[in-house]
Amino acid sequence: MKKISRREFLGVSLKTGVATMFAGMFAPTATSMMGLGGIAHASTKKLSPFTFAVLTDAHLYDIPDHKFDAILAKGVADVNSLKPQPDFVLYAGDLGQSGKEAELIKGKKILDKLKMPYKIIPGEHDYYLDMGKAWRGLFGDEHWSFDHNGSHIIGMNSILVEDFWSMANLTPKERMGRMEELECHRCGLWGVGEKQLDWLEKDVKKLSPDTPIIIMTHSPLWDYYPRWNFQTLDAPEIRMLLRKFEKVMAIHGHVHQVVYNSIGNISSAGLLSTSWPWPYPPVELPYPNIKMNRVDPGDFEDGLGSHKIDVATSFDGEINYRAFSDLLPENVKRGVKL
Amino acid sequence: MNINHTFQTLKLAVVSVMTISTLLVVAEVDAKKPFNAVEKEDQMNMLMAAVKKGDDLWHNPGLGSNGLACGNCHPDGSATNPHTWPKYQTNLGKVGTLREMINWCIAVPMVGKPLALDSEDMVAMEAYVMYTHRGVAIAPAKDEQHGAVPVVSGPGYPNADAGNR
Repeated sequence: MKKISRREFLGVSLKTGVATMFAGMFAPTATSMMGLGGIAHASTKKLSPFTFAVLTDAHLYDIPDHKFDAILAKGVADVNSLKPQPDFVLYAGDLGQSGKEAELIKGKKILDKLKMPYKIIPGEHDYYLDMGKAWRGLFGDEHWSFDHNGSHIIGMNSILVEDFWSMANLTPKERMGRMEELECHRCGLWGVGEKQLDWLEKDVKKLSPDTPIIIMTHSPLWDYYPRWNFQTLDAPEIRMLLRKFEKVMAIHGHVHQVVYNSIGNISSAGLLSTSWPWPYPPVELPYPNIKMNRVDPGDFEDGLGSHKIDVATSFDGEINYRAFSDLLPENVKRGVKL
Repeated sequence: MNINHTFQTLKLAVVSVMTISTLLVVAEVDAKKPFNAVEKEDQMNMLMAAVKKGDDLWHNPGLGSNGLACGNCHPDGSATNPHTWPKYQTNLGKVGTLREMINWCIAVPMVGKPLALDSEDMVAMEAYVMYTHRGVAIAPAKDEQHGAVPVVSGPGYPNADAGNR
């Protein structure tokens, strides 16, 4: 019997599931209600409450005393100042700008000043000069998971594109140069790829559906604006693998902005960078009330920040965007439920 | 009908004919033939060459000295709001133009050397930004961030599931 690939399987199931998945964007469906509703909620595994912090998208340059160095250091100091101290820190990719080892070494030196352990995933800016070699040398695996206070935390490399450079005879530097452009016309869409999907399948297989899941990727696990790779090609497969869980919190870098979405059992939040903010792409936001204000180009810290995420006993989460300048509307300032 | 009246009518008719013929002559002198298809294509090609040049410059960190290019913060020329200029801009401290704002960004966040306002490079960057906002209604000083024209992504798109489009 022919082995059915995930995508083919999903294609088949989508025929009956399209309405559900689309509706899931805006309104809870029967399936998603199981994850969000009161009855299922009450049965969610109790966990010991904890706090963690998130930093991302420092885009460090191999230039001495670059302004972004100080902003990342400010993020690290901000996280270190949190009381109570976060249990750990997650870093969602793009520590460097042009994939140079010197950028990553500089970034690691700053991140190593964190008082708590941190876990990190790569972004495209860390990766396409040497296909992640320097990054792996410094930080290890591109995907990983660990358990904390009853929750299961996953990190994956979501920025893998098809080879566009071999046929075009591009040098590693040219390849990196193209990937550095957000609106790269010739780079294609990225995702986590089959190998990581296999790994994820195994990783979550033995977990019971009431296990609270936190997943971090560089790019969103939903189709936001593919033109800027504000997407992950195999997000549907990832969501499929995580569908058995009652509740999943997803956080992602890459968008350099406040953005929120909820699909089925997954609520996901975009993160502020410590380099530059990005404007919203020309599409309607699924949750237009959760956004940041316009930034002042004369204030180099406007639109940037760190994040604190509180996780309560019943796995109710709240993300606090800690903007370095006055960026947030009141409703976002109060914290966004995850 | 008396003779006088007939004469008056005739005079009016003559004047009218003269006026119309004068107008026709003037119209013929002032009229310009519409551009033909070849001319239009040539003009568009020249504009597109400028847009392409502007796109390249927009993503060229060489305009600054700290590695940043315009495109770092303004993908597809976004958040430049070309439809709102000229306007009072706080960073400029005066009523300024889009070109002056581009120069401000080159000089301040990018720590580079401003371009001559009428240089070919500056015109190309303006062409790029205007083209990515084609069709947006002119709205002087409107306090809004308008996106660039939506662009469909490369191969592999659309991704069938979960879109808000």
